[in-house]
Amino acid sequence: MSKRKRSDSRQTNQQPSPKSSSKPSLQEHDELWRQRQWVKLFAEVTLKIRQSLQFKEILRTTVTEVQRLLQADRVLIYQVLPNGTGRAISEAVLPEYPQILDLEFPEEVFPTEYQQLYAGGRVRAIADVHATDAGLSDCLVEFINQFDIKAKLIVPILQGLNSHESATQNQLWGLLIAHHCDRPHQWVDFELELMQQLADQISIALAQAQLLEHLEEIVEVRTAELQEVNRSLQQEIIDRMQAEAALRRSEEQLRLITNALPVLIAYVDDRQCYRFNNKAYEDWLGKSPVDIYGSDLQSVWGTDCYQRMQTHVESALLGHIVTYENEITLKDSLPCCVNVTYIPHLDDRKEVKGFFALTSDISDRKAIERMKDEFIAVVSHELRTPLTSLHSALKILATGRLGTLSIDGQQMLEIADDSTERLVRLVNNVLDLQRIESGEVKMEKQVCNVSALMIQAIEAMQPMAQQHEVVLAMKPIDIEILVDSDYIVQALTNLISNAIKFSSPDRTVWLTVESHKNAEVLFQIRDRGQGIPSDKLESIFERFQQVDSSDSRRKGGTGLGLTICRKIIEQHEGRIWAESTLGKGSTFSFTLPRLNA
Amino acid sequence: MPAKRVLIVDDEESIQTVVQFGIQMVADWSVLIASSGTQGIATALAERPDVILLDVMMPDMDGIATFKALQMHPETAEIPVIFLTAKAQTSERRQFNDLGVSGVITKPFNSLDLPDQITKMLDW
Repeated sequence: MSKRKRSDSRQTNQQPSPKSSSKPSLQEHDELWRQRQWVKLFAEVTLKIRQSLQFKEILRTTVTEVQRLLQADRVLIYQVLPNGTGRAISEAVLPEYPQILDLEFPEEVFPTEYQQLYAGGRVRAIADVHATDAGLSDCLVEFINQFDIKAKLIVPILQGLNSHESATQNQLWGLLIAHHCDRPHQWVDFELELMQQLADQISIALAQAQLLEHLEEIVEVRTAELQEVNRSLQQEIIDRMQAEAALRRSEEQLRLITNALPVLIAYVDDRQCYRFNNKAYEDWLGKSPVDIYGSDLQSVWGTDCYQRMQTHVESALLGHIVTYENEITLKDSLPCCVNVTYIPHLDDRKEVKGFFALTSDISDRKAIERMKDEFIAVVSHELRTPLTSLHSALKILATGRLGTLSIDGQQMLEIADDSTERLVRLVNNVLDLQRIESGEVKMEKQVCNVSALMIQAIEAMQPMAQQHEVVLAMKPIDIEILVDSDYIVQALTNLISNAIKFSSPDRTVWLTVESHKNAEVLFQIRDRGQGIPSDKLESIFERFQQVDSSDSRRKGGTGLGLTICRKIIEQHEGRIWAESTLGKGSTFSFTLPRLNA
Repeated sequence: MPAKRVLIVDDEESIQTVVQFGIQMVADWSVLIASSGTQGIATALAERPDVILLDVMMPDMDGIATFKALQMHPETAEIPVIFLTAKAQTSERRQFNDLGVSGVITKPFNSLDLPDQITKMLDW
């Protein structure tokens, strides 16, 4: 707070006090006492004024206290209004004198030039308004006579005292005025000082009130803002609670569903730790989802089982969907065959965060498959011995060495012989297919020369070709491949035998092989037979699916040849397919990987 | 084709019969018959045939056990043995070859073809 220098900034036109020249020592003592009183009083007044933050209250207290202290007849606060007029807004006046409160003063009474003087810090102490040296205009004297004013003391109340700016820039807010109405009054320094000090206090209070008002405005705006924020926060809390409740319900449903399923369902994170397990884990392994949560795969499944899982787990964590079969041990130490599927979980940036694991019990299916395989194997095997007897007996009969048959008898014998041969092929094919499908046989791969395989197949099929008057043509090629030669020759002879069967006499069946740059060897068997309808090109590789069901009877096929071929080629990581133009012929192609390619 | 003596060891009577008929009809070889492994070993020891056709799947003593027993006897160890089998997988054939048999003929076969097949296998 800046304290202004009154002696410099204010001028007084008061006459010298009559007491000032007599008894200096006593006067000094008296002055000291007065000053002490003054300080005490001032402190009291200031305290009273400061007790309120309400500006009106402050003004009222000020006028009351000044009136009491100065024993003045009237003390008022006059506010200068922006239009140049003014109004007494607070007043303490003895009851015998007229009130000035709320009275509007016309501009002429307090002209602008006077206002500027007061803004500059002028203090006016007039002992007698009617004295000739008072310097008051007649019209003013006339005006103040209405209120019985005999002596008056006027100090300005300035705005902007709080700032460090110079007094000239201060704005006149109003005046603090004291009146004596019964007689003229010689104003003493103490009175002047008090009035000035209190005017300053009012200035400060004014600034504080304005600040307060401004603060209150800010507080109001901030409160409104905070309330709005609060409202939206509360709404957000409600929304979140609802979302959370919905999430909980949905999680609960998910858990209910996953718990009801007789398969193991889990989520595994990228560190191979379980983050979700359904209740089946408890039923199967005797480990509850709570116990498993956070454990890694190896600790849950054990080292042996984990070794069988590891490569698949790693593959899933590289982002591949994986399906494999495994054998696990249940809580009662019983082994169980399972089918396992891992589905990788990718985040927005396509990074693998983990995978979903689905494990289903396939023990029953495995048992049935095993039974089927065993049944087929036993039946096929058991059929072979009687077929040998039947086949041989018919061949022996057909020699005629045991007696000559009639023409009809020989025809019957031929039918029996053909059917037996077909039955033999069927049994062979069924057994072959079952063995390949069951995985009972592994392809025993050895390095073979392609031309050797081709020659072997062509030689094997030569008698059949001659019988059908079909020419077999081939172009040997000197490439080595890693295959099970018996099975590849079987595939080739199957395809060549089909080509011969569907070729007219004097036609040629071609066997060609090409070595491709993409690490493949392409085998092709081409005929110029009746061709295959395009809608059958796929299905002919399915078991017992022939283009025409009468074919098998007419051509003596088993309906399993192409299925076996496909199985053999697939076991060699190759592909097999057919292309055909109806009436022009068919081409059967298969690929095999090149050696060391 | 010089006259040979063939021993067929098979528990199936019908097989014994067609093999005997087929061989005799084509090659005029003499055919000896045994219905079990034990009987086959006894006949082999007594008759010293030129070749033994041995069924793999037989009750009590199967073809493999019979073959091993024949190998144990110095009198029969040198007689070539050809297996008759319904099993014709590469792996099985290799297993038989590893035992030291002279050949494998897969069922079902045509007994009329037997002399020809045997002659080829044994380089007669």
